[in-house]
Parts: sequence; structure tokens; C-alpha cells
Amino acid sequence: MCFKNLPIEFDAQGIAHLKGGVVDPYAYTPREIKRDKLEELLARNGHIKDVSISPVTRVAGALSFHAVADLQERKFLDANSIATIFRGYEVILKGRDPRDAIYISSRACGVCGGVHSTAACEAIEMAFGISPPPLGTVLRNLALSLDFLYDHPLHLFLLAGPDYSQVVVEATTPAMWEKAKVTAAPHADVHDYKTIGDIMKALNPLSGKLYLDGLKMTRAPREAYAVLFGKYPHPQTVVPGGMSSTVTITDFNETYTRLQKMMDWTKRMIHLWDDLTEFFYEYDPEYKKVGARDKNMIDLGMWDDPDSYDASYERCNEWGEARWATPGVVIDGNLVTTKLQQINLGLEEFVEHSYYENWNQNGNQRYQTDPSGAPLSPNHPWNKETMAKPSKESWKDRYTWATAPRWDRQVVEGGAYARIWTTAAAGLMPKNDFLESTGHSLKINMPKTMMREMNFEWKIPEVWNAFERNRARAYCMGYNLMVAYTMVLKAFDYLRKGEDKVSTKFEVPQGERRGVGFWGAGRGYLSHHLVLDKGAIVNYQIVTPSTFNASPKDPFGNPGPYEEAVLNTPILEEFSKPEDFTGVDMLRAIRSFDPCMPCTTHIYGGEREIVREVNTCACSAEG
Amino acid sequence: MMVLVSGIGYSNLGDMSFGRVLLSTLAEMDWPAHVHVEDLNYGPIMIYQTLEASPIKYDKVVLVAAAKRERNPGTLEIYRWNGKLPEDAEIQTRIEEAITGVIDLDNLLIVCKHFGVLPDDVTIVEVEPQTEAWGLEFSPVVAAKVDEAIQAVRDHAFSLN
Repeated sequence: MCFKNLPIEFDAQGIAHLKGGVVDPYAYTPREIKRDKLEELLARNGHIKDVSISPVTRVAGALSFHAVADLQERKFLDANSIATIFRGYEVILKGRDPRDAIYISSRACGVCGGVHSTAACEAIEMAFGISPPPLGTVLRNLALSLDFLYDHPLHLFLLAGPDYSQVVVEATTPAMWEKAKVTAAPHADVHDYKTIGDIMKALNPLSGKLYLDGLKMTRAPREAYAVLFGKYPHPQTVVPGGMSSTVTITDFNETYTRLQKMMDWTKRMIHLWDDLTEFFYEYDPEYKKVGARDKNMIDLGMWDDPDSYDASYERCNEWGEARWATPGVVIDGNLVTTKLQQINLGLEEFVEHSYYENWNQNGNQRYQTDPSGAPLSPNHPWNKETMAKPSKESWKDRYTWATAPRWDRQVVEGGAYARIWTTAAAGLMPKNDFLESTGHSLKINMPKTMMREMNFEWKIPEVWNAFERNRARAYCMGYNLMVAYTMVLKAFDYLRKGEDKVSTKFEVPQGERRGVGFWGAGRGYLSHHLVLDKGAIVNYQIVTPSTFNASPKDPFGNPGPYEEAVLNTPILEEFSKPEDFTGVDMLRAIRSFDPCMPCTTHIYGGEREIVREVNTCACSAEG
Repeated sequence: MMVLVSGIGYSNLGDMSFGRVLLSTLAEMDWPAHVHVEDLNYGPIMIYQTLEASPIKYDKVVLVAAAKRERNPGTLEIYRWNGKLPEDAEIQTRIEEAITGVIDLDNLLIVCKHFGVLPDDVTIVEVEPQTEAWGLEFSPVVAAKVDEAIQAVRDHAFSLN
């Protein structure tokens, strides 16, 4: 039994049905947000401050954050995560040929260049009843691991990394900087930085070696991506039923060479984030509370097994569990399911605090069940409609364009770290030479390159916070790299056997069909839910990791993951006057999620005047 | 003397796609061997890395784009970029935008200059947009400048100074 809040139970054969005797099983009464006491404290106490950061810099896209900080007690009393832009990919896609979703939804993100196109393809494949030949699946796996080999260094060294750099640490915690300068780095023999202070200096933006190397290291995976798939981002070669690239052994050799280039750097990097994390914990154990929240996370898994994946909903549990990243939901640190169908049934989206109309008001629920006959919530993406309702920002009412996705009505977060966690806990990793899931850890064996062979083990952490998110992401570099490495070896095997087919022929069906792409982005969970009729899209719904993570409070009164993480964050920076408060601990908490927000960044100058607008990633609100 | 010509901008954003649309026209024209017309609409970080790794070192760059500078819509300006970089914090912001997918003339100039891959001779052919709504068409005031802008790009690409 994986659900404790939704009215779903399973019989002895594992078939889901609604609990008996419940009149309106999915009904709920929204809880009112009360702020009277908070407003009174704000008006009365000089040390209780409204903190508005708009935009939050060093994140992808437009995120604003509002918090109420008690600078005397050094804690946060309230937090609001704000996605500031509506893009409405779901609205754009309605009525179009389903194949358009591959190319249009891809534009939802300028960082994760191929994740949306692949998720769209998997949704279409389910609806069309087709699946790729084995080499087509291997190619997709390779594409998406290369994608993340670009994404993770970018976050670790250019977006989150500067939060741990000398310039930030020295300015916000001078005593820590003094200590860092004389603290030996335990893995200096591997990464060549003698002290923690040396690591922090190397993380300095623009000039630090790690910052610059992080930038350089994004090149090799992008090149490999372009060799195999024509371009990055937004490949045009991801098609229903496989890939349209013509690949040869030379292309895989070129990819292999580029993966080799990344191997030594990744070995250094994992040790480096271990050293940095342990230093902060040792300096002040209160850092374990920065960005802390319940160990609740969700992931759909990815990297299909070429022999298992058939795109069918009926067999999604089997092919899901055969993936190289295992699907799963973790609640209070325990893996409660690895079944894609259960993950799907538990998914709901709420809009009580978002700028949308509730689509359930007319009581017309499109689907009562999933394609296997299991009960489906009216709040499920297959039943959802995107109905924008812009209104005034109000912390008690509506304040964001992000929705509040929940699983079993619980707040879960997505991320690369959720992917490694569910995979480590499930113990279902396909047998191979480089990766092993133990049930409590993921072992990563990285072969000898210029550096010696190294074995790493990411262990499910005892605490969950900003530092562990970053540390897990560093280990994910090794994980992704070895998935990519294995996929290249598999590709060689298929080519050697003459199995060079990469796509399957198909026709667009005319009847009503449903599909879902259960997939992952660099930042974690990614689903595309699709409804087709007469060969056109009737409904399309995208849920991304940042939709979960940046979500506002839900109707049950629970804050979203960023909000909860900030509320649990102690204020540890050193300051003597309120005006010197920088919010660095709060920003470390938020950035550790690797936010990816919708696609216009507003940069404010002076009196909140917008001085520049740019277009970028749209991974959060409404896809 | 090697010359690089390009047009910068997103597709389908009305006047803001000026550079991108003109690039297609420029790419179909005949050019001497020393002038390369390239698509640089794939993110300034990737552009700087490509230019850094390229065996060809360009002596001159000519870029055409739309940019919002509070001029009268349809104003066409042709100028040699002074190469002046903003403060470090602003450079950092532009790098962050660039790595998270932003395609933008100023980002390209700042990022590429910061990483030392732009020559001193950079000419900008720039139009002030009137609209940036979704669409394939230019506003009349911007559409009226297309021929002049193309001629300006060609003049500067062919010029030896």
C-alpha cells in the first residue's frame, strides 16, 4: 500500500480501486492561510523584515522569492516562491499535430536541450502504440546522459558554486574563511587543492579555476550531442519510434573520446564536493539545517532498457523498473513505490495559490480511470485544463504562475539527487560493470583513464539539505558518465551484430488516445501527459521538477519545497546591522534545488523598474 | 583578412527577429572566400568556445540585430562597438544568462569579449524594434530598413577598415 492520503487501495492481485463507502473520494476543503500575526509582528518589530529577492540570480529563468526573516532569532517565519511568467505551452499545443509537441515543447527549456522532445516522443509512442528499435533507445539514453553532463557542471560551478566561493564566504562569514584557509582538503591528492580555502578561491566567479573549468567542461558533452543528434539544444532528430540520426561507428568513437575527456575531471569533482560539504558540517553543524526538509522526493526514472521498453502503459511498471534510473517515490526517507503506474495515480496538481482557474468547477471529469482501469483524480494532469487567471499578488491568496503538484497529497521534490536516491534504494539497476545499486547506496566504478581507476559510493544521506543536494549532484556526474559510457559500449555491440535500425515506421491514429512520457530532466522528474483525438492534441500537460520544487502552498496548507527549505534554514551569516543581511543561507537553500524557471527574466533597477527582458528556460510554471 | 558575418536573435519574435531573418538572406548571397556568414544563434558560451577552438581567427566581425535602446522604432544605427566591458558582476550575470539559454546581442558581445575571442573591429548594424510579439512579420518601420541594413552589412564586410 503506497498511498496514505488518496482513497486508493490495491487488491491481492495488485489491482487498484477506490476505497468503498467514500462519497466524494477526491474532495477536499482548502485551508485558509492566516497571516494576521505575521503582519502584526512585521509592523511592530524592527528586526522582523520582509525580504524580497527579485529576481533570484544564478538560476535558470525568472524566480522571485519573498520571505519574512526574524533577524534577532535568526530564522525565517514565512516564505513564498514566485514564478513570475506564464508561458502556456499547453495552450499553444492544443489542436496541433502531436508531432509538433516534440519541437514546440522542447523550447520550454534552453538548458535541458533534449529532455522535453524525448518526453514528448515517449508520450506519443504510448498513444500511437509504437516503440523504438534497441539502438534507437540506446541513442536516446546517450543523448540524455550527455545532456546532464552539460547541466550538472553548469550548476555546480557556475550557478550554485559561487555561493561557496571565497568572495561570498569571506564577505558573509569571515571567521569561516579564516578557518578554511588553514584546513587541509582530505582529497587534495586527487583534486590538487591543498586547503578548503584553495577550493573556495577556485570557485570565485569569473576568475576561479573551477568556475572556468566548469564552463569549459560543458563543451565536450555538447559536442558529442551535436555529433550524434545534429544540434544542441533542441535536436530535430528525436522522433516518435526512435531517432532520425544516421549514426556510424565513427560517431560513437567520437562520443567515446569525449566521454574519456570528462572522466578525470569528474573523479576530481566528486571528491571536491565531498571535502567542501564535510568542511561546512565540521565548521558548524547548524549548516546541516540549511535547505533542510523532509526526505520526500519523486522521480520517474529514465534511460530505458532497450530490450524492455515497449512504450505501453500496461507494461509501464515492468519497463520502468528495468530502467538505468529507477522510478520511485521516497516518503520520510523510505522508498514507497517503484511502479510508474502508482507514481502516475498519485499525481495531482492544485492551483488554489496560483494564477489559474480550477478546471474542476463544472464537475466534468474527462477520465475517471487510467488506461488500466485504476482510479484517477480529477486533479490529475490527464484531467487538467490550463486556464490562466492573472490576478493581484497576495500571500494569502494567489502569488505565482507555478502550480502545486503533489504526490498522494504530500510535498515531494524532484532533482538529480532524487534520481540517484530512488535508484540506490531500489536495488534494481541492470547488471553492468560500472554501476551497482545496493539498496542503500549507488556504487560507481570509474575506469582508469589518465588517473587511476576509482570507485565511488554515494550513500543515502542521514540528513537532507542544500549541501547533500549539491553533493548528490556531483555524484550524479559520475553516474551519468558511466551510463553514457555503457550506452556507447552497447551501441558498439548492436552495430557489431548488424542491428543498426534506429526508428520505427508509424501512422498517426485518428481515434481518442492517451499517452504519457515518464522521463527526466537534468533537474529531475519530467512528465508529459497527452490526450489525442482525430489526430490532433486535445490536451497536453507538462510537469517539470521545478514545477514541484517551486510550487506554492497547497490547499492543505503545506508550503512548496523551496518554501519549506527556506523556513527550515537558520540564518548563519555574520552581520551586525540589519542592512548588512545578505540572505546567503536562504539563497544557498534555494539554489541547491537548481531552479529552472519560466522564460523571461526581469531585472529590476532602482524603483523596481524593469530594465531588461530576456528569454530563456521555461521549465517551471505550466511547462 | 578574415571576416565573420552573422545576424543575432530568436525566431518568430516580430522585430526582435531582425538579425535572425536577415541572416537567412545574407547566407544566400554570394561572398568572397574571406567572408564567412555563420549562424551564431546557439548561445554565447558555445560561440566563444567555437571561436576559441577554430583555426580561423577573424580580423573583423559584422553583426546585425534588433536591440531595445529607447530610440525611435525603426531607427537603424551602424556603429563600431567600443569593446568596453561592464563591471564584473554584470559580466557574471551575462554568463549566467548565456549558459541558461539566452541568445542576445549584448550577451554575445560581452561574453566573447571577456573570453578574448572577438577582434577589435566589431561592427554592429542595429535596428530599434517596434514590436516583439510572437509572429513572423516585421512592423512597417522595421521592414522598411531591411534593404538598408543588408547593404550596410555587405559594405562593412567588404570594407578593409
